[in-house]
Parts: sequence; structure tokens; C-alpha cells
Amino acid sequence: MYHLILLLVSVFAGLLGSLLGLGGGIIIVPMLTLGLNVDIRYAIAASLISIIATSSGAAASFLKDHLTNIRVAVLLELGTVTGAIVGFFVSIHIKSSLLFQLFGFFLLFSSIMMFRKKEDHPSNHGHPWSSALQLNSSFPGPDGKSIPYLVANVPFGILSMIFAGAFSGILGIGSGIFKVMAMDGAMKLPLKVSSATSNFMIGVTASASAGAYLLRGDIRPEIASPVAIGVIIGSWFGSRIMLKMSADKLRKLFVLVLTIVSIQMILKGVRS
Amino acid sequence: MKQDNLEIRISCFLRFGVLLSGTLIFLGWIFKFRPTGNPYFNFQIYDRIPFSDLIFFYWDKKDWAMMISYAGLISLISLPLVRVIVLSILFFRQREYNLAMISFLVILLLFLSMSMGLLL
Repeated sequence: MYHLILLLVSVFAGLLGSLLGLGGGIIIVPMLTLGLNVDIRYAIAASLISIIATSSGAAASFLKDHLTNIRVAVLLELGTVTGAIVGFFVSIHIKSSLLFQLFGFFLLFSSIMMFRKKEDHPSNHGHPWSSALQLNSSFPGPDGKSIPYLVANVPFGILSMIFAGAFSGILGIGSGIFKVMAMDGAMKLPLKVSSATSNFMIGVTASASAGAYLLRGDIRPEIASPVAIGVIIGSWFGSRIMLKMSADKLRKLFVLVLTIVSIQMILKGVRS
Repeated sequence: MKQDNLEIRISCFLRFGVLLSGTLIFLGWIFKFRPTGNPYFNFQIYDRIPFSDLIFFYWDKKDWAMMISYAGLISLISLPLVRVIVLSILFFRQREYNLAMISFLVILLLFLSMSMGLLL
């Protein structure tokens, strides 16, 4: 019975994740800790598995649509993986109660960010590293024509990714929100390219921490298996109904749920 | 090799990897599935048991369902790592040595990160 509940919630997490462009982590961790009373360290480890599954599936679709900038992704992965190492180190040295509070505040931040107005901020000048590594590229516009873009502030982008990677390692999340913020806001990549490139990178960031959690013995098949299966099924359905659904109403409802859950997580952290 | 070709190759690789690891995880989970009881009761308090101890335990018990589950989880976790290795080789073959070196550094960092799970 409990297996099936977790499987269904994971299907929902995968479905919502692919519809709203999120990793499953912000649904999986609260479900496991608040719903099934699982220790937050096991929950974080299982959540990383769900992130790799969602990211790999979604990245495959985005690559076919020519939205991912593979060169930018490879460069920024240097930052995210370094951050993930720092994050894993920090996570094993802090108390579970602090993890709950951090996770709660991250959820609150995510719900605020979901109301952010989304528009492109193109740059007129690239960075010297962009020319050297041929990071500047183009993406297909609505009419099918190729729209060129320049990549700015590359060193700042790498530094931001260390921060995003550390959060991923500590909380078992994809940190897609931070990655998109840095790429879209600072590096001036188009929003669609930022989202697709972030998705491509999330799997590598999660894999860096997931490998360490696995060898530490924190990834347990009893928890991680239904989560992985559910998320794979959910994101598969999500990618198929994405074009037929308006994500806007769903986003508003999800923000409300996210805010309530974030308060519960913070309270549990304060009380324990 | 053209960019389009690179994107399609990586995309196919990721799809195949998710399908393979998902099938293994599903098989392991189905073989172990019990409809009654609370399987998460033992995970309410954190108890660190290293991966090597868990594997030896399930191997001794001949618990193939758990071994298959672990095989699926390991292949899923390895998927992004293998993807970086493939990219590194492709960049090297395209003579894009800067990006090949960056990918190689990412691979080293990934191994360093994973080894921390054994050391800490």
C-alpha cells in the first residue's frame, strides 16, 4: 500500500515536473519526510535519483528541438560538480533539523520565483571566452527561423553554478531555478535555451552527489525504486500532454501548495 | 561531426539509458513487491550502512531482486557520467581540445565526488 502511494506521488511529481519545468525533488522530499516519516537523508538521496531520471528524459527531448547549448552546459558543469562536492561535504556535517529549515526556505523561494515575469534579456556583446570556446549560438524561433544569441559574463556564470551545485548536493534538488537565473539573468541566454541547458546539466550535478550518497549507503532501493519508476512514467506522460495544457493555472495552484509545504517543513525543522 | 548529429546521438543515448535503467529498477521492485506492511518503517531513523556492506549482505542472501534494483540505480546514476565521457571523446575527435579538456576535468570531478561517499 505504502509502495503504491509513493509510486503514485512520484508519477504526479514527474508529471508536474515536466509540465512546469521542475525537478521532482521539491515534491518527493516533502512527501517522503512529512507523508511517510522517512529520515530526510534517505529522502534527499532518493530525490537525487528522481532528478537524474527526469533530467535525462527531458534533456533527450530538448536536444532534438535544438534548444540545448551543449558547449555552455559542459563549461558550467565544472562549476555545478565542484559545488555538488562542497554540498555533499556540508550535508553530512549538518543536523537534520537544519536540513528541514533550509529545504523549507528553498521551497518558499521557489514559489516566489515561479511568479517572476519571464522574458529574454539579449546581450549585444559576448565574453572573450564565448568566442574562444564558440559558446555563442542560435535557437529556432516560433516561425522556425534561427535566432542568434551571444553569451555574456561567463566567469560569473561558472561561479553561480558552484552555488547551485552546492544547494543540489545539500538538499537533493536539481537547483534548476538558480541555474536558469544565472544563465538567463547574468549570461543573457534566451529563456528557452537557459531552461533546456539547465535541464541538460541537472543530471550531471545530481549524479555527482547521487554517486557519493549511493556509496555511503543512503540510496536504498526500497525508497528509490518506486520514486524512479513513478517519475519516469510521470515525465513521459507530462511531455505528451504538455502541448495540450495551459501550465499557468496549474502553476498558480502549485505555488499555493508549495507555500503551505514550505511552512510545514520549516516548522518541522524548528520543532525537531 | 556536425552539431545536429552530436545532439541526436546524445539524445538517443539518454533515451536508451533511461529505458534500460528504468526496466532494471522496475523488475527489481516488482520481484520484491509486498502489498502489506510499511516498508518505510525502518527508514524513519537514519542508520548509515555502507554500500559495500549492503551489497555483500544481499549477495550472501542471494536476494537477486535487490541486486537487480541496485544494477538499475547504478546504471541510472552512471548515465550522466557516461554522457560526459561520450561528449569528451566526441570533442576530442572534432579536435576541439579546449572543450575536450573541460569535459575531462568534469569527469575527474565526478569521480572525486563519488569517492567522497566512500571516504566520508
